[in-house]
Amino acid sequence: MKTKTWVLLIAAVFAVLCGVSFALYHIRPQSTVANVYQDGVCILSIDLSAVAGTETYTVTDEDGHENTIEVENGRIRISEANCPDQVCVDTGWISGSLKPIVCLPVRLVIQIESDPATEALNLDAVSG
Amino acid sequence: MKRTTKRLCYMAVLTAVALTVFIIEAQIPLAAPVPGMKLGLANIVTVYAMFRLGPRDTLLILAARILLGSMFAGGFSAMLYSLAGGLMCYLVMLLLRKCLTEKQIWVASVAGAMSHCIGQILVAVLMAGTWRIAFYLPVLLAAAIPAGAFTGLCAQFLNQKLRSFSFEG
Repeated sequence: MKTKTWVLLIAAVFAVLCGVSFALYHIRPQSTVANVYQDGVCILSIDLSAVAGTETYTVTDEDGHENTIEVENGRIRISEANCPDQVCVDTGWISGSLKPIVCLPVRLVIQIESDPATEALNLDAVSG
Repeated sequence: MKRTTKRLCYMAVLTAVALTVFIIEAQIPLAAPVPGMKLGLANIVTVYAMFRLGPRDTLLILAARILLGSMFAGGFSAMLYSLAGGLMCYLVMLLLRKCLTEKQIWVASVAGAMSHCIGQILVAVLMAGTWRIAFYLPVLLAAAIPAGAFTGLCAQFLNQKLRSFSFEG
């Protein structure tokens, strides 16, 4: 292929990806429920609109990692983590976008989800 | 294939260069809006080697850089990410190599950088056990295009500058 064709192709892909990224960051779910997943299993589900004041939760794993989750009315963050990369802490507060908080060393994901009911049902089924 | 001593030395020098660049880059904290975003300067060596030395030697250089790199900076899980990203990138460049001229080396680097992201996100999804992490994929892929073009152009110019240098015989 000619260089010009490659440039056009790559520019087109770039434009599409920028559009998709922009959309993903700006879609706001209707829900105010934050679900916390560890190893893909929902371990905690909090309705952020029902929170008054500040609440904290601690999540640990078998490798000695410890993450502190802080919840305020309408928003959630990981305030402290003893992992080396601190990516989850740097993500800061999330308050209603599809953007998850991810902590890979602890395999922890926090997301505000539009459809919390089914997730909660699944969790109940698992924990039996 | 029998390697001459000179060729072997050249491979060793390239590995050392890639390793140094990789470790230095890992020390520079990048205020990236998305976790895992980086320039991927070590890929300059991989791209250059792919077009100059061929796939077999490139695989050796890449594997040595990743294994040593995660020993010096990172750890076991960092190695898994690097391996997945590196191998995906390698395979895509291997496929594209024959379709590209010497003036289009950067295209292979762009495609390689994008597949590197896909490989890493796949490992992250497997490790965390949830697809939700794939949220970051479009942003990472978009960022991989300019980053890959930059490292690819570096490799392309390197290839042009070093054309007269012979490592055979």
